[in-house]
Amino acid sequence: MERESLWDHYMKKGMSRRSFVKGCIALTSLMGLSTDMVIKVVEAAEKTPLPVVVWIHGHECTGCDESFIRSGSPLASDLVLNEIALEYDHLLSAACGEPFEAHLDKTIQQYKGKYILAVEGATCTKDNGVYCMSGGHTFSHLLQKASAGAAAVVAYGSCAAYGGIQAAKPNPTGSSGISQFIGNAPLVKVPGCPPIPEVMTGVIMHIALFGSIPPLDNDGRPKQFYGNRIHDTCYRRPFFDAGMFAETFDDKGAKAGWCLYKLGCRGPETYNSCGNLRWFQGMSYPIQSGAPCIGCSNANFWDEDPLLTRMPEYGPLGNVDKIGAAAAGAMAVGVAAHAVVSVAQKNMKEAKELAEKKGE
Amino acid sequence: MKHVVVDPITRIEGHLRVEAQVDEATGKVTDALSSGTAWRGLELVMNGRDPRDAWAYIQRICGVCTTAHALASVRAVEDALGIKIPKNANYIRNIMAATLTVQDHIVHFYHLHALDWVSPVEALAADPIATANLQTTVLNAYRVHLAGPTSNWNTEAYPHDFPAATPQYFQAIKDKVKAIVESGQLGIFAAQWWDHPDYKLLPPEVHLLAVAHYLEMLDKQRELVTPHVVFGGKNPHPHYVVGGMPCSISLEDGNAPINTARLDIVDRAINMGRTLVNYYYLPDLLAIGATYVRAGRVDGGGMAKERVLAYGMYPMEDYQGTSEKSTGGFFKNLLVRCNGVVENFGAGVANATFTEITAKDMQDPEVFTESVEHAWYAYEKSDSDKLHPWDGQTKAKYTGPKDGTPTEWKALNEQGKYSWLKTPKWRGKLAEVGPLARYIIIYTKSAKGLLQNPTWAETFMLNQIQAVSNLLGLAPEVWLPTMVGRTAARALDCQLAAEINKFFFDKLIANIKSGDTAVCNMDRFDPATWPKSAMGVGVYEAPRGGLSHWIHIENGKTKNYQCVVPTTWNACPRDDQAGQGAYEKAMMDTHIAVPDKPLEIAKVIRSFDPCMACATHMYNAKGEKIGVITTDPFGGTRVE
Repeated sequence: MERESLWDHYMKKGMSRRSFVKGCIALTSLMGLSTDMVIKVVEAAEKTPLPVVVWIHGHECTGCDESFIRSGSPLASDLVLNEIALEYDHLLSAACGEPFEAHLDKTIQQYKGKYILAVEGATCTKDNGVYCMSGGHTFSHLLQKASAGAAAVVAYGSCAAYGGIQAAKPNPTGSSGISQFIGNAPLVKVPGCPPIPEVMTGVIMHIALFGSIPPLDNDGRPKQFYGNRIHDTCYRRPFFDAGMFAETFDDKGAKAGWCLYKLGCRGPETYNSCGNLRWFQGMSYPIQSGAPCIGCSNANFWDEDPLLTRMPEYGPLGNVDKIGAAAAGAMAVGVAAHAVVSVAQKNMKEAKELAEKKGE
Repeated sequence: MKHVVVDPITRIEGHLRVEAQVDEATGKVTDALSSGTAWRGLELVMNGRDPRDAWAYIQRICGVCTTAHALASVRAVEDALGIKIPKNANYIRNIMAATLTVQDHIVHFYHLHALDWVSPVEALAADPIATANLQTTVLNAYRVHLAGPTSNWNTEAYPHDFPAATPQYFQAIKDKVKAIVESGQLGIFAAQWWDHPDYKLLPPEVHLLAVAHYLEMLDKQRELVTPHVVFGGKNPHPHYVVGGMPCSISLEDGNAPINTARLDIVDRAINMGRTLVNYYYLPDLLAIGATYVRAGRVDGGGMAKERVLAYGMYPMEDYQGTSEKSTGGFFKNLLVRCNGVVENFGAGVANATFTEITAKDMQDPEVFTESVEHAWYAYEKSDSDKLHPWDGQTKAKYTGPKDGTPTEWKALNEQGKYSWLKTPKWRGKLAEVGPLARYIIIYTKSAKGLLQNPTWAETFMLNQIQAVSNLLGLAPEVWLPTMVGRTAARALDCQLAAEINKFFFDKLIANIKSGDTAVCNMDRFDPATWPKSAMGVGVYEAPRGGLSHWIHIENGKTKNYQCVVPTTWNACPRDDQAGQGAYEKAMMDTHIAVPDKPLEIAKVIRSFDPCMACATHMYNAKGEKIGVITTDPFGGTRVE
């Protein structure tokens, strides 16, 4: 993802210094700056610019934008002013209307093949996309136009990744995740409703710091943020293993912070960073605040309802109901099953260490 | 005559387009149109779902006013099922609500609205020493010295988030802005009409001060919502539960969702909110607003002069029901009794009238209705029919633009249908909602002697209005129903919410101290205890104005779910009998200096804090066959 300056670009195209300066003068007036700024603009155009990010909105609720600006590290101000050039974003951009749309066209032209496209929201496919219009055009048109020259596309939130709430049955507008509508640009999926703030900024920071998209799993999610189930990293996991559950909201188990599995918690099948990063830099996550996980980073979680129904009654895990059963015998089975896995893992680790030791 | 289009309107939530006919000679807007240009059909998604899950789904209407729809939803379900929530749950929900209001208003002013008033380009001409002096002047001249009730737990020793007033600080900010402008990559500051004459109204130092605070508040706003993270597990989109709150309280369990250490996080955020609004937001806004008012800019009122509406806010204690059939406890128990409609405020408070909104009104099919004459929906009988939300019906009927194609618009058809928003009405009339409405209503009620034994919060509001009137040297009837007044009322609402936050936090502590730790009433959680059929309504004064959710539960499932949302009231398309909505009227009451650069249009629209995803929604299309697209990442996309 190497970036070239405007001057590099002109040289590559075999264009003259004269036409470069003329371009800079046009740019100066486009930016609404006075003519005495031309020199500065020429200087800037000769330097390597910040990574350009274009952020577009389809069928969404702006919760992902809001989550993005909740990031504690990096702070949104540092990111937006120092690490990237956020040239188009409906929430934060100063401009609007015609000049804003013209700026988008200019940006995707000028940085063709080099900008990052962030997409928030699903794309609407029914009736040629007329249920999601912006700037007098359909969002599906904008998505096609903006993804064509993108170096990479970041699908922010479960809507862009999988279709989200509006794609839940009966999906009145034919909404869908964006993956099939962005051509060949590499796609990073950052699901969640919304994703954790530091996961959202982390993906962009990775690109800014390392110059590449972060390592992805088979589904296109960054491994560093979606590699674990919440269940695997949940601070209440020991209570699950011990068969200690809240039976209803606000009962003794709920007050004591026991496992919420029986209240429908989706932690055991949800890949996200809620258990390890948590929200607001370790402050909490739904389970810590007594609320069962609704699996908001899963592909079709809105249609895996009722949300308060515990997992084996809908979930893909098979019948692990025995773990949750109140009968002491069944509980022992659950505990024993976990213990077996843990022991096996421990043995493997020890065997590996032993082998390494021998190899020295 | 020039046809002006602004699409997209940015620095708002969602997809909004406005069009205006501007007389170039006079700068007068002769007609204006406001269109919500996207529709997601979320209420249709609600059908058949478990009503106890409704809050999670419907909260996704909007991530900016996150919590608002969840709160209205649990209230609607509890009204339908006759559930009374515990005291602690009521206090915590009020803290959730006030927290949202404080954070949302601050973000609106600094990050969504400020760049209509101030410019980073103008800030480049500022003198850092003069800016530091200006900060002192602003704090001396524009603070509103008011506080809520005396607290038993004043935990903040001094204001920790005090504005810096040193030349070095402003020099550093100026250097950063300069570096951005000179880099040629303006990022979020690109392509605005920075040469618009409005940006010359304020001296460069005000621009630099405001840009500095824009950045500071961008860093701070996240810390204001930590009560959502503590009580609801995350923000945006914290968790709720029908019957109360999920966050159990225990002072004996180290693993409890809520204990002393967790409450301390909430306390810190509440104190911070009070400091930020008192030392940054209100002084900054009043300094800017006063300059505009002194320059004669008292336009942009529109509908605010004719009719404003609110439902009332902050139930003091645990209560049962919103509608009359469920005892209407909500309306008997309000900290701010702004439940009502004020008409004709623009003609002076003596000529204005007040009509109360009661629990009975919520179920009267004549009081709250919606029409679709100019919305892209069709009613079974006539599009002019006025249907109560519980009987609502809609079928999408997209008719495209007047000029252009269905997928490429040039001009929308003001004669026909032109928006995905319906037209909500109160007794057949349109109204403006929002903080401005709440302040106009309380002021009018007081002036007419209708505010018996005012609560501390109501007195606080009257004192705020008095303080601003003294500062501007104008009567409330003059400055309130204007664009500046709408923006100022939001800042006053923020100051009020910051004190209300502290008030309910103190109540929560006192109640826990008394030994009551209950947060959830599970008596009617089991659907086996529910009636076969039940209707409910939940109301909430959201940051953007009165919000109502309406649910019909049948056989344990959601049969019909509907929302009448603040931005639907304000941004709705016109009605052939009732006339134009608040956005359209506000634009027509706004002078445009440069029709090619209609900054004033964007500014007056943003003074409402638009939230389009909230406003556009579809009602129950009964018995209609809908195409289903399944988007399974493993199974592929298929259409049924």
